[in-house]
Amino acid sequence: MSDARAATHRAIEAIWRMEAPKVIATLTRLVRDVGLAEELAQDALVAALEQWPSEGLPDKPAAWWVATAKRRGIDRIRHEQMQARKHAMLGQDLLEEDAAMPDFDAAVDDDIGDDLLRLIFIACHPVLSTDARLALTLRLLGGLSTDEIARAFLVPEPTIAQRIVRAKRTLRAAQVPFEVPPAAERAERLSSVLEVIYLIFNEGYAATAGEDWVRPELCSEAQRLGRVLARLVPGDGEVFGLLALMELQASRLRARTAPDGRPVLLPDQDRSHWDPLLIRRGLAALAQAEALGGALGPYALQAAIAACHARAARADQTDWARITALYDALMAVAPTPVVALNRAVAVAMAFGAQAGLALVDSLGDDPFMQRYPLLPAVRGDLLFRLHRFAEARQAFLQAASLTQNRREQTLMMERAADCVR
Amino acid sequence: MAYVMLIIEPAGDRGIRAPEVADARYEAMQAYTDELTRRGVLVTSQSLQSDARGVRIKAQDGSVRLTDGPFAEAREMVGGFFLLQNVNRDEALAIARACPAVDFATVELRETGPCNEA
Repeated sequence: MSDARAATHRAIEAIWRMEAPKVIATLTRLVRDVGLAEELAQDALVAALEQWPSEGLPDKPAAWWVATAKRRGIDRIRHEQMQARKHAMLGQDLLEEDAAMPDFDAAVDDDIGDDLLRLIFIACHPVLSTDARLALTLRLLGGLSTDEIARAFLVPEPTIAQRIVRAKRTLRAAQVPFEVPPAAERAERLSSVLEVIYLIFNEGYAATAGEDWVRPELCSEAQRLGRVLARLVPGDGEVFGLLALMELQASRLRARTAPDGRPVLLPDQDRSHWDPLLIRRGLAALAQAEALGGALGPYALQAAIAACHARAARADQTDWARITALYDALMAVAPTPVVALNRAVAVAMAFGAQAGLALVDSLGDDPFMQRYPLLPAVRGDLLFRLHRFAEARQAFLQAASLTQNRREQTLMMERAADCVR
Repeated sequence: MAYVMLIIEPAGDRGIRAPEVADARYEAMQAYTDELTRRGVLVTSQSLQSDARGVRIKAQDGSVRLTDGPFAEAREMVGGFFLLQNVNRDEALAIARACPAVDFATVELRETGPCNEA
């Protein structure tokens, strides 16, 4: 491929990433099947990659894609209708819409907000496994290719492709409607959406595996989705709580890795490298969450904790007593062992390493925690502070053996080495 | 990554364009701004009044001097800006080339970053 052609391809793919949700949402409304809509959209993307480099980019790419996908969809439905009558119902709307609405701009822009929200709810539907929801969300709403998703989650591309095919099949089999869920289901469905967005963010923020300690592009994707959602669901405190949490965490992204890629932990970060704009946006979103009555939701509480760090100009000015109190509140609504571990860290900072260690040791029986690398990492840190170096070293070595992230592993090995004195 | 798009207008252009042209451009820019907000990538945007009403402030020979606009030597002026966040370079370029201002001004794309580096 020539350089110019490669540059055009990159430009088309960048436009696609931004327009994909709109195109797929519009097509899903037209064909009533998210799987079919996604396939038609992919065909249209391929057509763009073939045609645009020579014909030039159209003024309204989204409208071009919808029009092309519609045309191909109609051809396909007509073909199938001739083959057999069984898909007639599925495509009938599309044929009727084609007669009634030749204006593709209107097809795209008409009420796109509702279509987008419906698409978000479908991609994060509880009928799908968590893995499937993540992959489908990145595919439908992030416009990522299976290859990009595979690289983001460090799994082989065919695994992701299979996951997406199966997810679309599951949605079809369950006849999941393209709708904003009714009031009775809304809270549960929305919490599934928030969970997916936060998992995407976290996989970028604290990569569980691989070479890199952070993968900022996943954080970016999640932040964009969070902002899109906050516009579409402006009355929900937890939506703003999650947005606040992501903005505040992301404000530290630049300080979390040294120039050579090594992780820099919170107390050692150069706070002048924190992004003040993101902190302001995070604090504003947190205030909005609290104004909407969401102060005690799990995301808003975590955002409030992140805000305590953001407000401290130096690490030793952190209000650990307040953070401990916020973790107490978080334990009341989300009593998970990970929250308990974080609470133990706060207690150690507020009331001494010994108090924290007692809490950490009480978590060791949990089967999940036995495989969770941060448990021995925290334990090692507290033992180190108590000058129990031999035990600390054992804990750091255990943490190094549990993590699948190479950077984290190196860090733990170094801390283990520091214990030998 | 974060980028700023500067809209750089030819000096004096605002004084000679027809009112309906001005309105059409304003509307197109509004629609464009809404679209960027919908995508979750726009932090803030602002159009600016003409530099005829601006002031330049500069220290010279130990005293701060103020110069009122219009600035005779200026051939162009910053007419507005957009601050984008969570976009990569390809996406920022795609956003910039879709800006309606490319038809009547120059859009300058700049990545944000510390100014004490080379």
